[in-house]
Amino acid sequence: MANKRTFDLGRPVDFAIVGSGAAGGIIAKELATAGFEVVVFEQGPYRKAADFGHDELATVFRLELNGDVSGQTFRRSDDETAVPQPRPPAEYAQTVGGSSAHFTGNFWRFREVDFRERSLLGAISGTNFADWPISYQELEPYYTRVDWEIGVSGAPGPNDAPRSKPFPMPPMPIKSSGVLLERGAKRLGLTAQPEPLAILTQPHNGRPACIKCGYCMWFGCEIGAKSSTLAAMIPLAEASGNCEIRAESAVFRIETDAQGRASEVRYFDAAGNERSQKARAVIVCANGAETPRLLLMSASERHPDGLANSSGFVGRNLMFNAHVAVNAVFDEPLNDYKGVQVTRIIHDFYECDESRAFYGGGGIDARPLWSATPILHSLLGMPPDVPSWGAAWKHEIAHNFTRQMSIVGSTTSLAQDSNNITLDPTSTDRWGRPGLRVTYMDHDDDIAMGRFLEARCAELAEAAGAVKYWPFDNLPTTGSPHLLGTCRMGDDPAASVIDRDHRSHDVPNLFICDGSSFVTSGRGQPTMTIMALAFRAADKIKAAAAAGTL
Amino acid sequence: MPSLYVAITRKTAAMTKNNNELSRRRFLISAGSLAGASFVRMSGASIAAITQAACTARDDPAAALLSLSAEDALDIEAIAARIIPSTDTPGATEAGVVHFFDSALAGEMRDKRDELLAGLAELNAANGAPVRFADLAPGEQDARLHAIQDSDFFGLVREMTIFGFFAMSSYGGNRDHVGWDLVGFRGHNGAWEYPFGYYDATVHGGGSDGE
Repeated sequence: MANKRTFDLGRPVDFAIVGSGAAGGIIAKELATAGFEVVVFEQGPYRKAADFGHDELATVFRLELNGDVSGQTFRRSDDETAVPQPRPPAEYAQTVGGSSAHFTGNFWRFREVDFRERSLLGAISGTNFADWPISYQELEPYYTRVDWEIGVSGAPGPNDAPRSKPFPMPPMPIKSSGVLLERGAKRLGLTAQPEPLAILTQPHNGRPACIKCGYCMWFGCEIGAKSSTLAAMIPLAEASGNCEIRAESAVFRIETDAQGRASEVRYFDAAGNERSQKARAVIVCANGAETPRLLLMSASERHPDGLANSSGFVGRNLMFNAHVAVNAVFDEPLNDYKGVQVTRIIHDFYECDESRAFYGGGGIDARPLWSATPILHSLLGMPPDVPSWGAAWKHEIAHNFTRQMSIVGSTTSLAQDSNNITLDPTSTDRWGRPGLRVTYMDHDDDIAMGRFLEARCAELAEAAGAVKYWPFDNLPTTGSPHLLGTCRMGDDPAASVIDRDHRSHDVPNLFICDGSSFVTSGRGQPTMTIMALAFRAADKIKAAAAAGTL
Repeated sequence: MPSLYVAITRKTAAMTKNNNELSRRRFLISAGSLAGASFVRMSGASIAAITQAACTARDDPAAALLSLSAEDALDIEAIAARIIPSTDTPGATEAGVVHFFDSALAGEMRDKRDELLAGLAELNAANGAPVRFADLAPGEQDARLHAIQDSDFFGLVREMTIFGFFAMSSYGGNRDHVGWDLVGFRGHNGAWEYPFGYYDATVHGGGSDGE
């Protein structure tokens, strides 16, 4: 604790970073270890590995790590009134490490095609489909840094994008769900490849290997084998002596000065008191829902439509990645609740295929999903032909729980104006901030791609020898932990929020990096790319500081 | 991953194949009856006596009810026992699910207490006083629950029964892990070695089902 640093509120620090998650944790570590003074604001508490447990009810159903989500509302289109939902449609953790603390760890790199698909395929009318201003080649060194510094296990697949360095450790040994997916793939002429996973299979950078407890999805890792920024980055940031993690501090406004530069961050502390931290530059890494909300809440005379929003693109182009699943029961026990979720994936449908007559691509994996824990199985994993209670229900769950897995498809989402984050005009959260309003309806092509993958998942279940299988209908999408596109990166200030180096077009010392930076959605596993962007953004910010152009 | 709270069944029929050769492989829709439940018919009074004891003194004589009256607790225990009945394996009663209800309604789910008690009162109003739901024969209880199984009240009781049956024992139910034992979940183990199951045993060697 000797290195723990706290900073005066009145004296400007070099950087105020809003959000301690996948992006914020990396940028904090990069800047603090480079000698800059950094304060990281996290609205949730500072839980450590030892604070995480195996309590399904608290974690999965009472959403302990998600924290306070009051005020969040949902609607399909802007002619509807948004209303609160049983579960928040924008899913993210409020805890140090952000959603990286409770993610499942599927860590696919994007491919070259993801960055320039608009050029390859042409425009799609009614959408904001566009190329990224950066290429895979430009991001590749940073993907490699994620592999090695954050910790990714895996082995290359036949059609992966080129990598400059091998994985730092072998993939997770195959589970029964992986064996069955491989079996199905083989019979259908597809390729099942090892899953790249942000979970350690060997001790790495002073952290232990996975003990295969089975509590990955939605849970925090109690031994630090899951490669969250909480485990991999924040300890290094704090050890530098230059970084303060200011937990339970909910930012509600970024102030700008007379020159139009970001000057301070205003927040509520743990007791609910208003505080303010001065900073020379502000970096917003609050996730693809909270980042646009904060910018919209920071509207002022100079920035009437929200900070950094002269383009009107703040909050727009929300992309969730559509997901589908086919649940499948087999003769013998898989006991797939043990160990990590995913050990094998299929990327044969990654590329867009013109013969499909709709835009889109995706990936398939096999995992326990609802059979990871028994309450999930009870409420979401039961077959539709069984009564929902009584002896028949009991008999079915007793038989199926250990014998069931899900084949999951995840897809592209197209960027559309009509899918967005705005401030709810009536609801507020517990701090009194305007509620986060989510408006979302998948593009027809996203649904078509989802249905296409769902049919492939069913074929795989059949080919794998399932005795019974059924789709878990998940379309249209009602919510997602993938919060992408809402402050997109671009060269044109009229059609993007940040430039290719993550600097906002409108406010020179305001940077944004998280899922909101995405131009396209990728194929359904975004966190690897969020982390690679964060390493790259930190390099660009350091270079700007060195050049005196912050 | 897919979101929670989504209707499960919208597209099921399309996946059902009309192929008798593969009939074993697909929706073998059984009668869906409750055959298999072996219930000894007892008088309402003796069930009440048994469950009264269960509710108030199963392990700890000092464990008074926190949020429920003894009568309401008996009715809840009776409903839970139809949702997850005691068969050749333990059910909601043996799991002590009613204790989950009692403590949840005094704590995290206190905002559901009024809704739950109102639903219970409505259910009992049909009996004609002083007969309570817990006094009815199991077959009659099932019929009554079938009639309301699409109601919000039943949905809440069902969900809480599942929580009480499968949540950690520290919440009051899932006694001796009977819920986890029923489905073969050993979530309290903490760490596992390969092979986990039957299919990965072919790769990793070891026992036939990993146990």
